[in-house]
Amino acid sequence: MLKINNLHANINGKEILKGINLEIKAGEVHAIMGPNGSGKSTLAAVIAGKEDFEVTEGSVELNGEDLSDFAPEVRAHKGVFLSFQYPIEIPGVTVTNFIKTAINETRKAKGIAELPAKEMLQLIREKADLLEIDRKFLSRSLNEGFSGGEKKRNEIFQMAMLEPQLAILDETDSGLDIDALKVVANGVNKLKSEKNAVLLITHYQRLLDYIIPDFVHVLHNGKIVKSGGKELAYELEEKGYDWLK
Amino acid sequence: MELKEKLVSSFLAFENKGNIDLDSTVHAIRLKAIHNFEKEGFPTKRDEEWKYTSLNPLLKNDYSLFPNAEKSVGFKNVKDYLINEIESYTLIFIDGVFSSFLSETTHENCDVCVLSSALARPKYKMIIDNYFNTIANKNSSLAELNTAFVKEGAFINIPKNTIVPKPIQIINFSTGSEKEVLLQPRNLVVVGENSYVQIIERHQNLSKNTTLTNSVTEIFVHKRAIVDYYKIQNDTNESSLIDSTFISQKQQSVASVNTFSFGGKITRNNLEFYHEGEHITSNLNGISILNEKQHVDNHTLVDHKSPNCESHELYKGIYADKSVGVFNGKVIVRQAAQKTNAFQQNNSILIDDGATINSKPQLEIFADDVKCSHGCTIGQLDESALFYMQSRGIPVKEAKALLLYAFGNDVVEKIKIPQLKTLISKLIAKKLNVQLGFEL
Amino acid sequence: MGKFTEDDLKKELETKEYEYGFYTDIESDKFPVGLNEDVVIAISKKKNEPAWMTEWRLDAFRIWKEMTEPEWANVRYTKPSFQDISYYSAPKTKKKLDSLDEVDPELLKTFEKLGISIGEQKRLSNVAVDIVMDSVSVATTFKKTLNERGIIFCPISEAIQNHPELVKKYMGSIVPKTDNFYAALNSAVFSDGSFCYIPKGVTCPMELSTYFRINEGGTGQFERTLLIADEGSYVSYLEGCTAPARDENQLHAAVVELIALDDAEIKYSTVQNWFPGDKEGKGGVYNFVTKRGLCEKNAKISWTQVETGSAITWKYPSCILKGDNSVGEFYSIAVTNNFQQADTGTKMIHLGNNTKSTIISKGISAGHSHNSYRGLVQISPRANNARNFSQCDSLLMGDKCGAHTFPYIEVKNKSAQIEHEATTSKIGEDQLFYCNQRGINTEKAIALIVNGFGKEVLNKLPMEFAVEAQKLLEISLEGSVG
Repeated sequence: MLKINNLHANINGKEILKGINLEIKAGEVHAIMGPNGSGKSTLAAVIAGKEDFEVTEGSVELNGEDLSDFAPEVRAHKGVFLSFQYPIEIPGVTVTNFIKTAINETRKAKGIAELPAKEMLQLIREKADLLEIDRKFLSRSLNEGFSGGEKKRNEIFQMAMLEPQLAILDETDSGLDIDALKVVANGVNKLKSEKNAVLLITHYQRLLDYIIPDFVHVLHNGKIVKSGGKELAYELEEKGYDWLK
Repeated sequence: MELKEKLVSSFLAFENKGNIDLDSTVHAIRLKAIHNFEKEGFPTKRDEEWKYTSLNPLLKNDYSLFPNAEKSVGFKNVKDYLINEIESYTLIFIDGVFSSFLSETTHENCDVCVLSSALARPKYKMIIDNYFNTIANKNSSLAELNTAFVKEGAFINIPKNTIVPKPIQIINFSTGSEKEVLLQPRNLVVVGENSYVQIIERHQNLSKNTTLTNSVTEIFVHKRAIVDYYKIQNDTNESSLIDSTFISQKQQSVASVNTFSFGGKITRNNLEFYHEGEHITSNLNGISILNEKQHVDNHTLVDHKSPNCESHELYKGIYADKSVGVFNGKVIVRQAAQKTNAFQQNNSILIDDGATINSKPQLEIFADDVKCSHGCTIGQLDESALFYMQSRGIPVKEAKALLLYAFGNDVVEKIKIPQLKTLISKLIAKKLNVQLGFEL
Repeated sequence: MGKFTEDDLKKELETKEYEYGFYTDIESDKFPVGLNEDVVIAISKKKNEPAWMTEWRLDAFRIWKEMTEPEWANVRYTKPSFQDISYYSAPKTKKKLDSLDEVDPELLKTFEKLGISIGEQKRLSNVAVDIVMDSVSVATTFKKTLNERGIIFCPISEAIQNHPELVKKYMGSIVPKTDNFYAALNSAVFSDGSFCYIPKGVTCPMELSTYFRINEGGTGQFERTLLIADEGSYVSYLEGCTAPARDENQLHAAVVELIALDDAEIKYSTVQNWFPGDKEGKGGVYNFVTKRGLCEKNAKISWTQVETGSAITWKYPSCILKGDNSVGEFYSIAVTNNFQQADTGTKMIHLGNNTKSTIISKGISAGHSHNSYRGLVQISPRANNARNFSQCDSLLMGDKCGAHTFPYIEVKNKSAQIEHEATTSKIGEDQLFYCNQRGINTEKAIALIVNGFGKEVLNKLPMEFAVEAQKLLEISLEGSVG
């Protein structure tokens, strides 16, 4: 489904990604771990198409299609979802209005008619329950004044609504207490299927207790230096990242 | 004769008397200034910038323009108005004339002396040519009036990499040797790269006669220099002050002006900051505590011309009896000034019916990536806090004073000279007419 | 008005033109250009006015002649030449219209284009409409329903004939002829407008609405609205404005007077979408409007405005809070794009005890435009316990535009409590990326963020206006980011 070939990316002339190769198939869960500054979040942003980064070499393909020339929203329409490490506040725009707009824009791009209001509402309720989200929460301004846990839950709620092919969760565990982490992980697990894939980006192994990865990759200094099964995560937890250097 | 005509017609006599070199650049500047003043005259309330302050009550007097120096002033007469607890350089002017006897100047490491000698001596010609009257606002007829009659004032020139070891006090006394006197001091302050200076300025009338002071100060703050400027305005009820201070800042410099207005009849403070470089910080703080028929008008301008600069403005006012407070703060953020942070706050308390506050905080923004805000509140003392204090045995008057103190405290806290902080605290206590059993 | 769909928006964005910029080919009765006493008398005669009205106009004209155009506002424009304007233009009708069926079909088509279907839709949505085209009221709906409750809602020209006592008493009482240059001009030459009277204790059962449209070229529009809410009554009034796209500037100088007697409440909403001029700043309407309301005891006046049109806007809907416990509100969104300039805000004059005012102003500047908030909060010495809260927020898009705030706060009573806040912000790159990542394109994202920014004001609009307003915001900001 996702194929990354020899990906190099710069920001302000500084090379962050130095040749990433990665393939993710439908139904798989991959985890990318690595120390701070190794390029984890950059990889996520580059896949999503953030313009601050310049891709100098290599490619990102989704279902055999090169994403390079696509704007972020087009990538989203094609099924890429990024759960932000730091979700953005948009004052005055409610969670409901935001997700409605996102869904209808995506449907429009695919040539499908708008989701009727009634169905939309039903869907929102269903997914909100899945993430144990209070109804009142849905009429608050997007991410404004949300606690860390609320922000992350809201990200997964949006993911549930948009049903992406590829979900990239960037440090979704950071700032979450154990209860919130369980809710988020539970949500992700329920959304997992044979048709979609998940890319977890995390510093700690903690999240991987709840979302079990099929593959773990270690990113260091812009390159994947080691790949393995979920046992690699435990090894990292035990030994730290230093032994890789 | 009206004051304007009197001033214009005295100009020739003034220049002749001062043995002005008619070929000098200063003469040309004066001449231009008097023409501008003659054309514009005194501002009136029809002028948007003077909407809330009328000079009419001041213009009726028959001022003596060139008072004779009162020689009998000794240290004992003035010492109460000096901060004696600290070592300082002092520049003392009596009725506009420099008193070398009472002052302590220096030419060691830096120049702390008088403008008249800087204007006259070739040694300073370059500084005068480069700086004098270059940032004083030519659209201000009052600044132009000062320029036309420029003669005396402080001249402070700090070379680069110099930390001036002690604060500089500039005090203008009027003695009442004339029934009504107009004083026009002119200060020039140049602070070189990476240097630091603290300046305290004060105007004081020693008699019950009428004084009008039209003061202009130009301050140049070079790269990475820091200037802390304090204005103590606690003059008698017969004294009025129009102060115009213009500050030009170069990159990474920090300039702070703190204005404490407690006394005087009509006080108008024009304070203008111009940014000429990046990463500049400007701080403007003020407290006005007024009663009776006092009138204080704080008129500020911060002109952000370059990116990445900051300005922080905080003015507090407490107005009793029939006093009038005016705050007019203008912040301009020009197109090039991206990433500007500009904050402006004006908080006032009205103590009595009859007191007035007119507040006009203005933002003019031409750049998009900026953080600008202004806030303005007008209110009263917190009744529940007052009751709480009374229930603990604090008399209402003291309780009120304490709350008012607390209200102004964040401005007092900005004072970096401990002795000055004590003095300001005492002046506030005196103005609020309470005795506090503790030092703030 | 119908539901506005995404497809509609897309279509409109594609055309990238001022949506309402069509010209209706209706035969019109138009005066030659120029203004003098004869023209004033002719206007009065044309309307069959009684002598007192003619005298009133002439008096205003004489006052106007002595006045000069104000220059204090933060706007730059070529002053209109007042002798090159035609001061009267009316769609030619053979006789007075009794029902909508008699309205010129071309005219009805115009209203269809405006999104106003005067027919069933309005009936269903329960809105009574008065339509003023080139200053003449052409159709008023729902007269009968209103009459039953004693509500008078008619063209002001009719009110002058049929209710002279009310007109005489109140016209010019809030905005005197001497008030300002444009108000004086309007008083001399106004050709029509809406008049409304709500009797004591009556709650108006439907929204009252007036649509204004300038159609004819080279004309000015000078309408006059007078709205009286008698003791204990309530009315919600909507006003919409459009004009065709033209190369030359058109002048609009209206006067609106509101009177809320004891315990009455008036809610006045405006969606102003006069032609703003083209991308190069050519053409557009000069919108110089004086709007003011008077609150007696316990009365409330609430102004809500969405201002997206006009080349120049000069407008300060104000409240005189005369009665004790009266309340004034001002909610405004002003959008300027391309070369538009707006200088708008409010005056809250607190005279009575326990008076309260709220000001929420949201300015959005894009392109080369300039958007100024100018407001006055005045607490008189006798107004005990007055309260004001003001919030002025600006949103800038791009670095060629300007956002300015000029608040004047004058307090002469110690018990007043005033809070004023202003902020300036931009649409963040990170906000746009976040929306993009969720599949929302940049254009739509901006619309979403702008709507969020203006939410507190949009929420104050009656439902059917809110939809139109949101749509207008999107259209007016179209193309504002590269």
